[in-house]
Amino acid sequence: MQQGMRHLSTLLDEQLERHGLKDRVKINVSGCLGMCHKGPIMVVNPGYTLYGGLEEPDVAQIVREHLIQGRPIARLVIEEDHLFNRFFRIFGDVNFFGKQMRIALRNCGIIDPENIDDYLALRGYEALAKALTDMTPQQVIDELKTSGLRGRGGAGFPTGLKWQITADQVSGEKYVICNADEGDPGAFMDRSAIEGDPHTVLEGMMIGGYAVGAAQGIVYIRAEYPLAIERLERAMAQARDHGLLGDHILGTDFCFELEIRLGAGAFVCGEETALIQSIEGARGMPRPRPPYPSVSGLFGKPTLINNVETWANIPVVIVDGGQWFSSIGTEKSQGTKVFALAGKVVNTGLIEVPMGTTLREIIYDIGGGIPHGKAFKAVQTGGPSGGCLPADYLDTPVDYESLAQAGSIMGSGGMIVIDEDSCMVDIAKFFLEFTQSESCGKCTPCREGTKRMFEILTRISDGRGQAGDIEKLERLGDMIKKSSLCGLGQSAPNPVLSTIKNFREEYEEHIRDHTCRAKVCPSLIAYAINDACVGCGACKRGCPVNVISGRTKQKHTIDQTQCVRCGLCLATCKYDAIDKV
Amino acid sequence: MKETVNITINGKAYEVQAGQTLMQAADVCGYHIPRLCYHPDLSIEGACRVCIVEVAGMKNYVASCAYPVTEGMVVTTNSTAIRRARRDIVELLVDNHPQDCHTCERDSNCELQRLAFAMGIRKRHFEGERKTFEQDLSSPSVVRDPEKCILCGRCVRMCEEIQGIHALGYANRGFNTVVMPAYNMPFGESVCSQCGQCINVCPTAAFTEHNDTQALFETLNDPALIKVVHIAPAVRAAIGESFGLEPGQNMEHQTAAALRRLGFDYVFDTQFAADLTIMEEGSEFLERLQGRGKLPMITSCCPGWINALETFHPDFMDHVSSCKSPMSMMSNVIKTHFAEKADIDPARLFVVSVMPCTAKKSEAVRPEHTLHGRRSTDLVITTRELAWMIKSAGIDFIHLEGEPFDKPLGLSSGAAPIFGVTGGVMEAAVRTAYELYTGETLIDIELEAIRGFKGIKEASLNIDGITVNVAVAHGLGNGARLLDILRKAPDRYHFVEIMACPGGCVGGGGQPYPTVNSIPLDEGCLQQRADALYGMDRGNTIRRSHDNPEVQRLYKECLGRPLGEKSHELLHTRYAQKSPQGIVSRKLTQ
Amino acid sequence: MAIPFYLRLKQERDVANALEVIRKKRAEAVGRIVSKGFLSSKRVYVGMATCEMAAGSKAVMTVFREAVTRGGLTDVFLSQKGCAGRCNLEPTVEVVEVGKLPVRYGKIDPARAQEIVDRHLKNGQVISEWVID
Repeated sequence: MQQGMRHLSTLLDEQLERHGLKDRVKINVSGCLGMCHKGPIMVVNPGYTLYGGLEEPDVAQIVREHLIQGRPIARLVIEEDHLFNRFFRIFGDVNFFGKQMRIALRNCGIIDPENIDDYLALRGYEALAKALTDMTPQQVIDELKTSGLRGRGGAGFPTGLKWQITADQVSGEKYVICNADEGDPGAFMDRSAIEGDPHTVLEGMMIGGYAVGAAQGIVYIRAEYPLAIERLERAMAQARDHGLLGDHILGTDFCFELEIRLGAGAFVCGEETALIQSIEGARGMPRPRPPYPSVSGLFGKPTLINNVETWANIPVVIVDGGQWFSSIGTEKSQGTKVFALAGKVVNTGLIEVPMGTTLREIIYDIGGGIPHGKAFKAVQTGGPSGGCLPADYLDTPVDYESLAQAGSIMGSGGMIVIDEDSCMVDIAKFFLEFTQSESCGKCTPCREGTKRMFEILTRISDGRGQAGDIEKLERLGDMIKKSSLCGLGQSAPNPVLSTIKNFREEYEEHIRDHTCRAKVCPSLIAYAINDACVGCGACKRGCPVNVISGRTKQKHTIDQTQCVRCGLCLATCKYDAIDKV
Repeated sequence: MKETVNITINGKAYEVQAGQTLMQAADVCGYHIPRLCYHPDLSIEGACRVCIVEVAGMKNYVASCAYPVTEGMVVTTNSTAIRRARRDIVELLVDNHPQDCHTCERDSNCELQRLAFAMGIRKRHFEGERKTFEQDLSSPSVVRDPEKCILCGRCVRMCEEIQGIHALGYANRGFNTVVMPAYNMPFGESVCSQCGQCINVCPTAAFTEHNDTQALFETLNDPALIKVVHIAPAVRAAIGESFGLEPGQNMEHQTAAALRRLGFDYVFDTQFAADLTIMEEGSEFLERLQGRGKLPMITSCCPGWINALETFHPDFMDHVSSCKSPMSMMSNVIKTHFAEKADIDPARLFVVSVMPCTAKKSEAVRPEHTLHGRRSTDLVITTRELAWMIKSAGIDFIHLEGEPFDKPLGLSSGAAPIFGVTGGVMEAAVRTAYELYTGETLIDIELEAIRGFKGIKEASLNIDGITVNVAVAHGLGNGARLLDILRKAPDRYHFVEIMACPGGCVGGGGQPYPTVNSIPLDEGCLQQRADALYGMDRGNTIRRSHDNPEVQRLYKECLGRPLGEKSHELLHTRYAQKSPQGIVSRKLTQ
Repeated sequence: MAIPFYLRLKQERDVANALEVIRKKRAEAVGRIVSKGFLSSKRVYVGMATCEMAAGSKAVMTVFREAVTRGGLTDVFLSQKGCAGRCNLEPTVEVVEVGKLPVRYGKIDPARAQEIVDRHLKNGQVISEWVID
């Protein structure tokens, strides 16, 4: 942008107009491609040609020669050898992918994940070879520090620093763990990454093992991901056959073993200390930190634990360099982030965008906006522990600090779009129901406190809310956030606190007026038959509690005292004759 | 590393030792931060969050039990915000607790109750659903009441880290979390050794002994029965605490007086049978030392240890002495020799023992301990239960004039009271075995090497030119460790003593709850109780079991000789492997 | 304490140049892919992640495999791939033809797959209404 991209885009627009190509050529203004040093760049399809260092006259030439005559201009083509390029070249002409930038997911959807040849052909294991041949462990760590990569599991701890601390521990035995215990409802980033490209995770872990001095790696993955497990196992077997895993990797003295451990589906086992407990054979419950796993982790040994997405970034950092990586994203949050975009948005899907992309760009440009012409209400980021941000925050850039400042979190990458048909009390209740039932039960604030918050929310949505309930939620929420033992409890109140902060009037309406403006909370709504009723009797026949009456071909009525508000009549009626009131 | 660090607590500067936790440092500086799940002998759980404090620069509150002090740390323990958060946390515990203090066994002795009072909870804001559970009454010793559990985890850690039994663990999640035995099997059928340490460390009444006081009161009012009671050594050293006395007062004579006032016809002393045990066990040891039986020989007095043996270490069953415990020996002697001498129909005798122990309740119901088809010991009550009965019956325990035990089973040597402290059985046995073997009297009878609270203690003695190596372990975890040593080096020891409870019987699962200013199993308190027992030994003119004239008379009139036919019938027993077999916890505290 | 392997790595003996090894492996891998028919005039990729399978991609894959093995479809390289992230359009199928733009189809069921075989793969006719853009 700074280098005149907007200007070029206007120029291009004029040129297309002049040649009458406006309807046939689509312009995508893309995010940073991580090639700032090449000046303004442009990718032209057909042909996936990457042009760089563009100046004004070049635009007209591109339109004239490339678009009209089909002759690419060799002078302007730049050959960039970045690992992520291939994805962009294949999918870059599709709107959905135009604003994305794929580093962790660079091979997902491109290669055959069950064939190591596909991975090797795309420079697979080159990063490992480079580290083993050209770099000392400290140089690997320094490269990571330069890259600015931060933990993608949610907390955003600087990865290089974590590696350094683990490497600095003097111990004959160390471990490397991949946290693939993805538990957020609706999140599938890790699953897709492993299913689409298992080798990149393995390669990342081996580089980690080399850097910190560990010879044993463990992938902790939830048992509910059978395909991901199968592909990981296949990948490990193939890597072993190629001398890429086990003793004397690639003919060097580096030895590394890998093992898969299955999680039994406890959400809390995504928390690193609980995960370690689980691997040790104990019940997955977090323990107080310090000591951090980097110092005393699995079986009391220094343990490097990162999540799937972080590991998947490592090979790119090594091959393309920390300097290049750090040019992507924002000043404090470098690189890209994967999100599972879901909810009331046209294009749901798995996306990877440069840090700093705004929520608006994600929801409207990539996600295609809200379906059925409904109005945007809020976006919930960070999974069940994140916050709900209203329209005022749409221009918030997605990075660790900005999201935290707005009252939400990056989390592991859930992103749920909420439209006007959703009740914010109901949304908060939904997430809290999940966290309170997934609390490990160890610490009091999380175990007892979230339960009480859930009870208060339930009574508010049932129309039994009392004056002072909102204040109680705030008081409990604040205490739970500050007092809980682990990240689960410390973030569990976020959906409630952020909806109170941004949608307080909805809570007040539920309590004071006993109304739910989104018409979601069953106790606060009623179904009524309007004058469009033709008396067909369909609703009457379908009503499970037989409370609809009326003669054939006459307007029917619902007995409100006995209606259970199941909504079947509304779903049945073909004449739009039933309203939620 | 620097020796000390400078920290600020509540605006005042302190220089404290480095490497401590914030809580430890604050304790030294005179700030007792409220706490619940913390216990100095157990691992740091950080679960209750009652000990949170504010640390400048930290976004969240910090659990002071788990957080190390660092240079320049600025701590606030009592700000309005932290007081409110702490209060709310305790209220959340109270909200999910049956508010039945009036009818609760631990009323006025409950840490949650004290904490709620100290936090100033006068009104409750967050009432809601409360958990409901049935009591687990399957164990003869320990009652589990998950409804009263506040999930501090002290029992779990005690069972796992100190005892190595790991009979308890967490199940379910969130609000439904509960502490239970594996597979929620009845506690009595689990691998539990019935030691009762869960009761000792529980801050509420989630674990209590199987209470037999009501049954006993009814029996005491039955004129058809002749009621006999005998009390174990450690009871007298601790019962005073239940009446507000300092630990370590020998209350044997007041206890005897109180028992008579409760309605017992004969008040005997289990210590008599301790001397008897030494006669049998000492002789058995000498037999084994001379090649007749396996070495090392391991003591058998402790029923918690015997339960653990049969569940966890069946490979050592042949090593354990066949002697019954002093309690069972005593009851058998009462129901045979004494009944005969006093001309009482044994069927009319109702024998009660007062023990510092919950596992004794399980011992009493074992089928091996029967006589003429009835239990040898009809009922066992703990120190705590006796104290409650004395209070309930309105007996002025503190001001009672002391009374002696009844004859003939009330006399004991100085070797008997020390049965109540770790190492005592070994010390008593050595005193007698030495003399039985050499014919000479052991002069230096106080074996310092096996006194004290070190987990595993060792000593070597020269008995007539033979070097005899002995070892003593207290706490089942230390016991398991000692057995592991033996599995690797079977010849290392000749004689081994294992007691299930930390400190031996003085720290038993049936001993009084800690007073307001103390904590469960406080080492100072255990030491005071032990000192009382050692004092009784030193104050006794007879200090060797074989010198007890009543014991000698018993052999002359009834038993014949140690290990004789009659002894075998009345005083010896056997063991059998139990299922499910237990696996010793890997998380034993070193 | 044992010497960490990375110290041994540099000191004790000449190690293979891992970069050279991996470049050789890459060349071999490319060779194997080519030998499997990668250079066919058409390549078909079927999305086969859990989400795609849940949407029905296994049956779609079966249609293509049948067509290649028994249905007389020649000069076609069939492969699977992971999830590209288009959840609402799954199962997805990508057809790459030499010298032409790749075509990505969304929401493909076995019937549509058969039509892709018949119309696109055999007769070169792109079915534009199913194309993702």
